[in-house]
Amino acid sequence: MNILTGLITGMISGATPILLAALGGTFTFYAGVFNIAMEGMMLTGAFFAVLGSYFFQSWVIGILFAILGSVLLALIFIFFAVSLHTDEFVTGIALNLFALGATTYLLRQIFKVKGVFSSPGILAIPNLRIPFIDKIPFIGVILSGQNLMVYITVLIILLSAYLIFHTRFGLRLRAAGYNAVSLDSSGVSSAYMRVLSLLICGIFCGLAGAFLSLGYVRLFGENMSAGRGWISLAAIILVNGNPWGIALISLVFGFFDGLGLLLQGYNVPPQFTSMVPYLATLIALYFYSIRTRKSPLK
Amino acid sequence: MSKKFISGIIGIIIALLIGALVMILQGYNPIETYQALFQVSLFGLSPLATTLKNSVPLVLTGLSASVAFASGVINLGQPGQLVMGALLATLGGLYLHLPSILMVPILILLAIAGGILWASVAAILKHVFNMSEFISTLMLNMIADYFTAWAIAYPFMDHTAFSPMTPQIDKAGWLPDIGGFNLSILITLLAMAFIWIVFNRWTAGYEWRISGQNSLFARLGGCNIEKNFMAVMLVTGALAGLAGGLVVMAGPHRFLKGLGANYAWDGIMIAIVANNGLLGTLLYGIFFSAIQTGALGMELITNVPSEISQVLQAVLVLVIVAGREFLSTVMDRLEARRKVLAARRKPKEREA
Repeated sequence: MNILTGLITGMISGATPILLAALGGTFTFYAGVFNIAMEGMMLTGAFFAVLGSYFFQSWVIGILFAILGSVLLALIFIFFAVSLHTDEFVTGIALNLFALGATTYLLRQIFKVKGVFSSPGILAIPNLRIPFIDKIPFIGVILSGQNLMVYITVLIILLSAYLIFHTRFGLRLRAAGYNAVSLDSSGVSSAYMRVLSLLICGIFCGLAGAFLSLGYVRLFGENMSAGRGWISLAAIILVNGNPWGIALISLVFGFFDGLGLLLQGYNVPPQFTSMVPYLATLIALYFYSIRTRKSPLK
Repeated sequence: MSKKFISGIIGIIIALLIGALVMILQGYNPIETYQALFQVSLFGLSPLATTLKNSVPLVLTGLSASVAFASGVINLGQPGQLVMGALLATLGGLYLHLPSILMVPILILLAIAGGILWASVAAILKHVFNMSEFISTLMLNMIADYFTAWAIAYPFMDHTAFSPMTPQIDKAGWLPDIGGFNLSILITLLAMAFIWIVFNRWTAGYEWRISGQNSLFARLGGCNIEKNFMAVMLVTGALAGLAGGLVVMAGPHRFLKGLGANYAWDGIMIAIVANNGLLGTLLYGIFFSAIQTGALGMELITNVPSEISQVLQAVLVLVIVAGREFLSTVMDRLEARRKVLAARRKPKEREA
């Protein structure tokens, strides 16, 4: 029983950052932006979250800072890719490099450390205890007492699905990706929709970063996003951007993440358990390729 | 060529100015800092030799990415292929004891084999299961990273060391310095010359380039797209693996923890800046190496943290690439305007 709840909690905490970043990325996916900068946005968010939380002694300001930092990166993306028409792939890679370099540099400049900064002065995002529900045996442990960001993420899934499929904004967003020229000729600027999608992606990736550095740990480490942005990109591609599909597939990744942690208790070298999520991505890609091959449309 | 050259120089100047701005905001003297940076990396024989030696992995992974991208293959797996090449070369150096004349070529071949091996995983996944190499090479990078971290922490660890690393390889496998310059520089130039001939003079290279520019045209023209994909993947894997082997054989002579992390995205970054040109890759590889090499010395002289080189590199990439594309859009617009003006003038001339 304990292993099971541990595994489920591990699954949820592993899934949350990937899920948030992927939900941000799905807006750009629908708007037709080839956005691979989620990794960098998440990393920037994680750094600024620690910065805000540490200097203002408040996790709320930490989250706000995370969003600010991540949106700043999105603005640079907009400036280069939308305004100057630089190749999106190139912009994304350069921004990821920039995020890694800038956070490493600032870590050294501001906190005077190399590698990892952790301090009791960093306030974490609290866990939320839901009254009554936490009294239910077994389910209560899972439904209640999770990190606040986990509940926010659930709300964001609902919000994203509603925004993309049931509002005028969502229709225009999808039109921008589906046929930008016809959207432009109907009087709505497709470039404007792309800008909006990138800003939304920035906000969500900021939240993902804040969860990474203020969720279950209270520290910032060099390159702490560790490829999660790429996994979230894989998740988007695998389910063609559907928010519910993304939620499901992120949980699967989270499960393997949690499984990796669990295996560490059984004397499996940590290097192998850390490989598990990436192997899971490869396996998921395999199933995706089988499905697309069978489908008559492709 | 000259246009490329000018836009590159302008980009570098703008990026260095942005870097100077950052330094001023942080309260450092930018002129002193840049002076220190290039003094330790370019001026003098020994600094130049160090810069060139450090440029070996950058140039080779850059060539790997350039050839791949120019052929329409999104091989982002240079970091993984590099560490696998380095690992295989290290293992060869640990267990083989041969005279130098045999040892060096064998270790180089092992490094190349390591790179090819890891690239072939992605190539097979694409060939058999049609899995996009874009994501699979990225995931294989992480897997190779953890695998080599395990290899140097458990089975092949040097138990006298305090952090995970292998023992030193047999001295016969060390690449010697010739007149102050390491042999790995020469090997890199040979590899560069070879890949240039293959890419620009051989039929295979022509087919790769055409596939990269227009895959449909290449297929209709009779190129075997699948075969070319496999070939490009393996050749670029070999280049990245060679980079790893040379790093071990020229530098620390062992596999240190975090060996690959230093070169993680550098090759891809350099290929992008050089717009997948092979000569450009060589030049930018040396330039970026000068910045990285100089940054360490600069830190000792001026107090500016060496990490600023990472910021500087990313700014360079963004500014040079954006500048190039911006320049070509401006050129196109001017061209269009000239045509419009010419078209307007013509009827008037006729009336006259």
